[in-house]
Parts: sequence; C-alpha cells; structure tokens
Amino acid sequence: MSFDDFKEGLGALLEPSAVRPTDFGKRGYSLQVTAKRDQVEPIARVAREADLFLEAMTAVDFADAFQVIYLYNAFGAGSRVRVRVAVKKGESLPTVSTVYDAALWHEREVFDLFGIPFDNHPDLRRLLLPEDADFHPLRKDFGKVHGVRSTDEIYGEPTA
Amino acid sequence: MADKKVAPGPIVHVAVLEDILNLFRANSLWPMTFGLACCAIEMMAAGASRFDLDRFGAGVFRGSPRQSDVMIVAGTISRKMAPTIVTLWEQMPAPKWCVAMGNCAISGGPFEYDGQYAIVPGADLIVPVDVYVPGCPPRPEGLIQGLLLLQDKITKGEKRNVLRRFQRGARSAA
Amino acid sequence: MASQLPEPIVEQTYYLNMGPQHPSTHGVLRLFLKLDGEYIIEADPIVGYGHRGHEKMAESHLYEQFLPNTSRMDYLSGLLFNHGYVAAVEKMTGIEVPPRAEYIRIVCAELNRISSHLLWFGTYIMDLGGFTPFLYAFDDREIILDILDRITGSRLTYSYCRFGGVAKDVDDEFIRATREFIGRLRSRWEDYHNLVTKNVIFIHRTKGVGVINRETAIRFGCTGPVLRGAGVAYDIRRAEPYSVYPELEFEIPTGAAGDAFDRYMVRFQEMEQSLRIIEQALERLPEGPIRGRAPRKVRPPKGDFYFAVESARGAVGFYIVSDGTGYPYRLKVRSPSLSNLQVLTETLSGTLVADTISILGSVDIVVPEIDR
Ligand code: SF4
Repeated sequence: MSFDDFKEGLGALLEPSAVRPTDFGKRGYSLQVTAKRDQVEPIARVAREADLFLEAMTAVDFADAFQVIYLYNAFGAGSRVRVRVAVKKGESLPTVSTVYDAALWHEREVFDLFGIPFDNHPDLRRLLLPEDADFHPLRKDFGKVHGVRSTDEIYGEPTA
Repeated sequence: MADKKVAPGPIVHVAVLEDILNLFRANSLWPMTFGLACCAIEMMAAGASRFDLDRFGAGVFRGSPRQSDVMIVAGTISRKMAPTIVTLWEQMPAPKWCVAMGNCAISGGPFEYDGQYAIVPGADLIVPVDVYVPGCPPRPEGLIQGLLLLQDKITKGEKRNVLRRFQRGARSAA
Repeated sequence: MASQLPEPIVEQTYYLNMGPQHPSTHGVLRLFLKLDGEYIIEADPIVGYGHRGHEKMAESHLYEQFLPNTSRMDYLSGLLFNHGYVAAVEKMTGIEVPPRAEYIRIVCAELNRISSHLLWFGTYIMDLGGFTPFLYAFDDREIILDILDRITGSRLTYSYCRFGGVAKDVDDEFIRATREFIGRLRSRWEDYHNLVTKNVIFIHRTKGVGVINRETAIRFGCTGPVLRGAGVAYDIRRAEPYSVYPELEFEIPTGAAGDAFDRYMVRFQEMEQSLRIIEQALERLPEGPIRGRAPRKVRPPKGDFYFAVESARGAVGFYIVSDGTGYPYRLKVRSPSLSNLQVLTETLSGTLVADTISILGSVDIVVPEIDR
C-alpha cells in the first residue's frame, strides 16, 4: 500500500509514454499522467487501492478542449500525482465518485464552473452558483480574461 | 394642539412619546447574529471581551430576525444569498435599522471588478441602509462608532434611508 | 356530534432547513436535513452562499493584485493562505527568499494559526452552550491580533507576505510581546482544561460523537485536524516541508477514535506545538534583509504548478497554470474545508439533530473558503 504500488498499477494500465516523473521541487507533483477518457476511473481505482486520496480536482479551459485535472496524494513525502484528461467541448467525462466520495462535490464544482457533465454522477447539481444560474463562469468566453491559449502552448504536447 | 410635524410614520403620532420611545430604542439595540464573511469576525470581536458592545446596550446578539431590531450586514453579499437577506429583513419587526459593515456591504469592496458575476455590490441595493461603516474589515471600534451614530440617528428621529435606487442622484444600479 | 379523536401519530420523515442564517453554522452554510423524529437520515450541506468568484477574479488580475484576495478566502488563517500563495508564485518564478523573511513568516503564520484555533475554541464551546470560554479565548486572541496588527497593519485580513520576502521588518518590541504572549498562553492551558476539557457536559457532547475514521477521511479527502484526529499523522509541514519547517522541532499530535473530542484535543495540542515553533523560530531569527530580489512584475514561466501549505484547517493548495504573462491563466485553490465539510454528508446520517451542532463545530469550517 504505497506510492510504488500505485506506480506499478499505473504501468499496467497505461502506456509508458503517458506517465512521466517530474521534479517535485519545481512543479509540486512528482508524477504526471496523461490519461484518456475511459482510463479515468481505472486510475482512480488503482489510486484507491494504493491508499491515495483525491486531493483536488479542477479543470482548465483551452481553445481546443477542456483539461480536467485530478490531483492524488499519498500520506508520504513528495507523492502527488497530477492526472490530466482532455475533454472536448460539449463532451462528458465518466465520474470517479464511485471510487472516491470526494469526487461527488469536486465534480459538481467542475460542472458548475465549467459546464462539463459527468456520466453516472448520482447528483449533478450546481455546487456554488445559484441553482437558476445559466452560465459557467470559469470558461474563457465568460467575463474578462487575458487571452485564450491552446493546450500545447501550456502543457507542451498536443491534445490526445 | 395641532401637531406641526406631520411626517410619514405612524398614523397616530404623539411627538413626545415618540421621542421617549426612540430614546429607549436607541439604547437597547438588539443586533441579529448574521455573519456573511470576514467582517463577521470583527463583529464577533466587537461583542467579545475587549470591545464589549454591551456597554452601549447593543450586545444582545439574537439568532432570530424576529427578536432583533438592527441588522448588521457584515460581509460580502453573494447573489445566492441576496434573496435570503431580503427575507430576513422583511421578517424583522419594525422599527428596524440596518448597518452596512465593511466595503463589501457598502459597494462590493474588493470584489467589484470588471466582469464580476457573483456578488451584489452593496447592501443598499436590496435593503435600506442607515449607517455605513467602511473598512476591510472595519475595526471593532469602527463598528462601535457606527452603532453610536445609529443611536444618534434614532434619538434625533431622523428620516430613514431608502434603497439606493430611490436615493436622490443615485447612480443607476447595475 | 361524534367526537373527533386525534389521529394516531404517524411516523414519517420530514425535512428541516438549517441556515443559511443560523447562529451555529458559522457563516452562511445551509444544512438540509431529512429527519426521522430526532434522528437525521440524510444531510445535504448546501454551500455557495459566500461565493465571490475569487478564481475568476485571478484571471483578470496580476499576480500582485491577487495577493489581498488570499487572506479574504480563509479570514481566520489569512496569513497562512497568504504565505501559501506567495510561496507558490516564488517557487514557480524562482524567487529567493532571505532566511530572516522566512523565519518572520513562520512566526506570524503560527501566531495566526493559534488565533484561528482560539477563535474556533471559543465559538465551538459557545455553540455547545458555554459562553464564558468564548470571552476567555477572545481575550487571548486579541493579544495576537495586537501583535500582528503592529507589524502587518491589519487585524484580520493580512497581506503581509510579498514576493521575495515580507512587507515590514519586526522589531524588538514584537519579539518581546510574542515571548510574553507565549508565557501567558501557556499559563492559560490549565484554565481552559479546567473550564472545558474536564467538563462533564462537554465530554458527553463530544466523546463518541461524529466519528470520522481513517477510511472515511481518505475517501473524502479530509486533511488537517479532521484527518489527524482519525490517527493519521499527516501534516504538510512535515510531509512536504516548506519554508524553514525542516529546521524546527515539533510534533504532530494525533487522535485515536476520530470523534469530536479527538479533534478538539488535536487542535489544543497543535496550539502548544505552534508555541514551540514560535519559540524556536524567535531564538534562531537571523539578521539580514527581509526582501530578496524580485522582479517588479512577476512573470512565471509557462506550465502548471501546485504548492500546498498547512493551514489551520488542513492542506491548502494553489494550483496555478501560467501562460508566461503577468496574469494567471488559471488559479485553483484547493480549500481544506470543502472536503472536511463534505464528510458530513456521511457522518451526520444516523445522529441526533442536537449533535449536528457539535459535529459541525468540531470540523471547523470557514464558509467563504469553501465557496471561494
Ligand atoms: S469588506 Fe473586506 S473584510 Fe469585509 S467581508 Fe468584504 S472582503 Fe471581507
């Protein structure tokens, strides 16, 4: 039940190019994972078995797609994992709330602020905004922002 | 004995009695426990050991709007919260007063910027405010002064404030 | 006329709405409870009544302009949030912080942590029906606020940290006052324990109430005293040491059962540990500059970055996506109270309505930090 187990489990699940170690001191996480849409839940299961917890979940809006970010962490030193999934505009993502209850609210928040729906989420209501709000404020086409970027400009790799 | 001061107010108006009542009212203000954000902590501090609002008769924080007669709007009013505040205000029995504490309750404070979507910039857009206490957050001394001003206002029987959209020369509320 | 006998009492579930204006929800939290008599079947906390759009605001503000916002998210431990944000941007940009500034930050941050815990202590006991400890705790808290007020210029919403250092140097008076405060607070522990910890009513209302065990805490992603109360010695200050914490000695207090009483004790011991940290930091406080070299306008390189610190309520993280300009492309705040509150959806079910107050208070949430 440790971080190494998790890495092993990931290795069995994803191709090696999708998992890259990073410098914890520079980035704040020691493993970056680029996942595909249908791998989100299996990754969560592996993390759950390895005793990791879902620390945070968020999304970033880019010109080409949304990037949904999952941050897993273990109770050890420097063991944060950033999982990134590209979601095309208008598409949905499978829920991980079946594995982590924490995702129930994190997914509601992402749905609220970005309008990304989650399949099979038991209770997908708005979390923060009033129930009758009709906008998703953290999208880049809402309000005042400074430029919209594409994914590879920031993450340096094209969207899968 | 014609009463010269025919001001809007109670139908039966007995000036002297009214003044005496106002004096009583001013010296036993019962604020509602109603914290919205950061400013609420300073409101609590004002009621706690060092600042002791009780000295001015305003330390009886009530949990229910039906028992209180001054609403201290302490903090940011989000759009989700605004209808609740109006309801609470309407539940308070008259005569009632409102203090807008902090920049958020006065004008939206730091959160009023180009493209903001989440807050109501100013308590006086939804409830009539009598005293404004600026600061982010105002120090407890500031709140105490605000309440003293309110007491002044009540004892002098000054006119009540109105919503911002009815104020003379008010900028059009967005 | 046939007498109308009262209908037999039918057992049925009903709904109770608690908040958003309620004296013991500490701000604008709404709990929607489904009840069976006195027992809660389902609890649905509804948040968002303090949503102010901090994250959207960040996207149209410079990194420097966003600095004051951080202390307004969690206003009880504003300096810790402030420190977290500043340290995140420093790490991203590669700004060096002189050691004196780091030590000053730690002293102030720990003072802030104590003031946050003291406020929690006062209000928690007040929710449980004891008014006196509230006055005691505020008495002590005011001294911290005075100390911090002298150097930061604010009682609550500090924006004291700057990129590359702190805004103002501390002086001998600050150090003297802090030392004096340490002695004073230590002498108060006994009062607090006599007044509250040994109080039978208090024990009955907290022991075995609101148990959050390790497994639940992991599923919900709880951190801070909630997690430590469940027996996990996880503290960002130790797990991912930042600033000068590696050089300082302190312990991570943990509980065993994970009930409200354990969380109470954990916070209490944490205050003592914070005092120890402050003592050591003051002892070692080096001479030197308080501001390092930082660019006038911070422009972190492209990429994403995460940095976490331990606030009074748990791990608070800043996930910043930078596009190389002076404006953050995306700034996400991982707030501890969100996860800590979410656990109530499970913990509250099956408990008595009266225990709601005790459990909610023991988790110690700050609503605008959840809502951001
Ligand atoms: S005025 Fe300042 S301190 Fe008061 S609620 Fe607004 S942001 Fe917080």
